[in-house]
Amino acid sequence: MSTSWVIELAVQDDFPILQRQVNGHRLIYLDNAATTQKPSIVIDAMNDYYTKHNANVHRAVHTLAGEATDGYEACRDALKTWFNAERCILTSGTTEAINLAAHAWGHAQLKGRPIVLTEMEHHSDIVPWQMLAEAFGNELRYVPVKSDLTLDMEAFEASIEGAGLVCVVHTSNVLGVRNPIEDIIRIAHDHGAKVLLDAAQGAPHCQINMAELGADMMALSAHKMCGPTGIGCLLVNEETFQEMQPFMGGGDMIETVTLEGSTYQTNEHRFEAGTPRIAEAIGWNAALTYLGTLDLEQQHERLLEIARHVAQELRSMDMTVYGRHDDDDSSVVSFLHPTLHSEDFAHLLDARGVAVRTGHHCAQPLLNRLGISGTVRASFYIYNTMQDAEEFLMHVRDILERFA
Amino acid sequence: MTYPEKLTELVEDFQSIDDRMERLEYVFDLASEVNELPTEEWSDSTRIHGCQSEAHVRVEIVDENVRLYSGADSKLVQGLMGILTIAIDGQPVEIARTLTPEFAVEMGILNSLSPSRSNGFRNMFDKVMSTLMEEE
Repeated sequence: MSTSWVIELAVQDDFPILQRQVNGHRLIYLDNAATTQKPSIVIDAMNDYYTKHNANVHRAVHTLAGEATDGYEACRDALKTWFNAERCILTSGTTEAINLAAHAWGHAQLKGRPIVLTEMEHHSDIVPWQMLAEAFGNELRYVPVKSDLTLDMEAFEASIEGAGLVCVVHTSNVLGVRNPIEDIIRIAHDHGAKVLLDAAQGAPHCQINMAELGADMMALSAHKMCGPTGIGCLLVNEETFQEMQPFMGGGDMIETVTLEGSTYQTNEHRFEAGTPRIAEAIGWNAALTYLGTLDLEQQHERLLEIARHVAQELRSMDMTVYGRHDDDDSSVVSFLHPTLHSEDFAHLLDARGVAVRTGHHCAQPLLNRLGISGTVRASFYIYNTMQDAEEFLMHVRDILERFA
Repeated sequence: MTYPEKLTELVEDFQSIDDRMERLEYVFDLASEVNELPTEEWSDSTRIHGCQSEAHVRVEIVDENVRLYSGADSKLVQGLMGILTIAIDGQPVEIARTLTPEFAVEMGILNSLSPSRSNGFRNMFDKVMSTLMEEE
């Protein structure tokens, strides 16, 4: 028995949902770029919170409130440690984190300066900036994606002059391509622009060290890294944090409120109005604890090997595969058959218990650049095995034989 | 409600298939039942909104009978169009107007599809019906 097989089996056992049958078949879950499954440790932590500790956080003095506060704040501390970040504002997810950056930092600090985006961005890293540009007249400059599926870095350098912000996806949710973030940050900073990283896809696959990278803001979601849905964060360096102005007003974010006006908290609570996502934070912390027990580098190599194998096999079946699967890329395999529609493919795979994604993956500008309207996307994560990949390929071959 | 004979047979056929894959396979086979609407005639007025694929339909009334022309880039969607074709193509307008999407529920095809595809089928049905109602 090889070492990787032992790892695969041990991890699979931690995810109870993988035991279920779907449409009479063993579930093969390959929609991990959309959301990952949850290990027992996460489910148990959230159940334990609601069973034994549920209370609102921060202000009450009773025991339960103290326990809930400790649990909630422990997540923030864990995230700061995990990503080596100075500030961590908890949000509902990546989308809210980017919207928070646009409102709390962009409104006050961009002052009409251009914003550099890329064609590879998820809609959540395009639309908030389009809305801001509509309100304040900022120019939006888009860095094209080249035919080799990488960003046109010459175009990036040409677009940076005068820009106030660069928003770039760490790893593409469609292609799995990991962008040259280090170069982008260096060039942006040399020209006086801040950088916001959309790390929704990157964070689950590698240990990102924010301080080492030098990113100013970084947005991500818990549910793509074994945590619950409904929670994410905006990680911010201290300088950027001090430039941010309160966005949403309400409870928890204030210091004092009088009828004449209010003063605000000075820590991260300043940007977390209202009762926060307490159980979700506790669940996310448990997910980090779980991921911390794994060798993520080894997992990354194992999953990339699976993705490369799947991509190669799909190409041998006359599929077009949109991805390169370089060493730092994620294990996403986007593909299209010349005649069988991507939605049809997904329905037929679902009938055999295989969960994949289809459509534009919330990245329509990228798909427009590729000249297509959608792909089938199989994305692998820590509990997926080579056996999953082989069964998936077997179903694909059978579907092609019967329907293509 | 009582359905036209061909539709009754189709409903019974689908009800006799338990396996999800076989049901989908049958829907695929029915793609050939459509009266083809050539892609060069696809336009905004023929487009079925709410479908994740390109899907188009045109309804004509010939001698008080319904004629349905349709096409889609997805074979599964075209199969659903084939089912609708069997249900109402060639039927007198008065009878076609009384049809509801309940027949698709009885067939069990809607719960074999994703919510978006199932909504797409309802949008297709509604578009055809609204055209028939306009003819009144």
